[in-house]
Amino acid sequence: MFLTEEQKRMRDGEHGEPVQVAMEMLCALGEIYGAEKLIPVKSAHCAGLSLKSHGIAGMKWVEDMAAKGAKVVVPTTMNVVGVDRSRDLGLPAEWVEPQMRIQKGYEAMGCYGTSSCVPYYYSFLPKFGEHIAWAESSAVVFTNSVIGARDNREGGPSAWAAGITGFTPYYGLHLDENRTGDILIKVTTELNGIADYGALGNYVGKLVGEKIPVFENLGRPTTEELVYMGAALGSAGGVALFHAIGLTPEAPDRETVFRGKKFEIVELGKTELAKGYENLTSGKSRDVDFVAMGCPHCSLDQVANLAKQLQGKKLKDGVTMWIHTNIAIKAMAKELGFMKMIEDAGAVLTQDLCVVLSNPEFLGFKTLATHSPKMAFYAPGGNGIDVWYGSEERCVQAALTGRWEE
Amino acid sequence: MPKTVKCRRISKGIGEGEALVCHQPIGFNFGVDVPSGVITERHHELEGKSFKDKVLIFPYGKGSTGGSYVVYQVACEGTAPAAIINLNTETIIAVGAIMGRIPVVDHMEENPYNIIDNGDWVKVDAINGTVTITKKGGQ
Repeated sequence: MFLTEEQKRMRDGEHGEPVQVAMEMLCALGEIYGAEKLIPVKSAHCAGLSLKSHGIAGMKWVEDMAAKGAKVVVPTTMNVVGVDRSRDLGLPAEWVEPQMRIQKGYEAMGCYGTSSCVPYYYSFLPKFGEHIAWAESSAVVFTNSVIGARDNREGGPSAWAAGITGFTPYYGLHLDENRTGDILIKVTTELNGIADYGALGNYVGKLVGEKIPVFENLGRPTTEELVYMGAALGSAGGVALFHAIGLTPEAPDRETVFRGKKFEIVELGKTELAKGYENLTSGKSRDVDFVAMGCPHCSLDQVANLAKQLQGKKLKDGVTMWIHTNIAIKAMAKELGFMKMIEDAGAVLTQDLCVVLSNPEFLGFKTLATHSPKMAFYAPGGNGIDVWYGSEERCVQAALTGRWEE
Repeated sequence: MPKTVKCRRISKGIGEGEALVCHQPIGFNFGVDVPSGVITERHHELEGKSFKDKVLIFPYGKGSTGGSYVVYQVACEGTAPAAIINLNTETIIAVGAIMGRIPVVDHMEENPYNIIDNGDWVKVDAINGTVTITKKGGQ
């Protein structure tokens, strides 16, 4: 891979060890993926910040890099973590303390301590065609597909390396020719609400793996519905980019999105959608003791809708409900009164936390209800918990009654 | 007579040790006991064997990207391989090895599985891009 004289000096340690380590990582990735050069990025988003991913070793590595003077040179955000540092949720200290040290380590390097999977909802919105180095699969899918930014499916350390150097290797989805569609998904059923879009994303993610799906007749989804569909595509599969004809910026029509390439056509109707729901459901007992919303983190509109459904009601005794969002949206929800409506009902509006990255086993939950296709995908394996998957309304009902009704 | 073969450098450094040959991909996250360097994945070809101080030969890494931190962790604990030879190094191994300063090479000009056996003495020079093999028993 070609390096400028300055980039060579960075690799050879003239700018200190953290820059050297970061540059070595980018050079290795450039070699592996056959990049011709490095290109500048406008922003980076570091993921895998949970204690589950880092372990104590990763925590020490972050602290070591910070102590050696590592500093990011482009706006760099942090992904969602396994604690809410604004309050005590009953998680044990041996979990909370190292997780907070990881956050502090990244903040010491100049990363914004707004730990969230949806930084594009507040202050960090990439533009069309802009090269970025973001990890967090759902954010990669959203920025690539809905915005048309140029982003590979970065891992935590490679996104960190881009933040520290301001560069990323020029390969994969940074190149226009690699962004054409691979497979056409013709949707033949009506889609209603986030859970439908999530179930569809799950089914298609499993089907296409790492290919680029192109949707036709996807209806009129909200931004949040596209976020949740993308989160499902990126977790059930390895999708980093989708197109939706007439909806996303690189897909005005079939010709443009496939550029003369031969493609397979798959129809997706009621049966396939039902299969998506089935894949995401692992519940056995209809008694629900835990309801978790917001994976990816809820937008203000999602928080407000949940608040209105909970207003003036009380959660069933023995049921815990966590509504996940980030520091920015929580601040708005607090100021605008939605947080009070939620918490008066007995639910909790969490900050920068994701239960999948946390350790709810400590709290002894058995059966989870959620509207989140990504959470429903990871929680059974990652948290050892059974999951009911469905609409926001069904989840709120489960929180109020303690039952997942048919 | 030692044999030297050219290769591609992924993570720089020099390491040598006895060869430990593995034909299956290795997942470091949840698949390795860090204090001993023993592979713990059920039914894995190397289950119960330690890679500590060995030159570990395997096709590529697999599993969750958190594996990079585990590669770094074994380096910190002193239970890492002396060096790694892959057919095709992927991101998880490359990044973890750079963090932990473990020499890694891939794309040897001869297939390592044809010329390296368990117990051979192997020197990996991931600065100049060479692998030198001395057969067990000095053949």
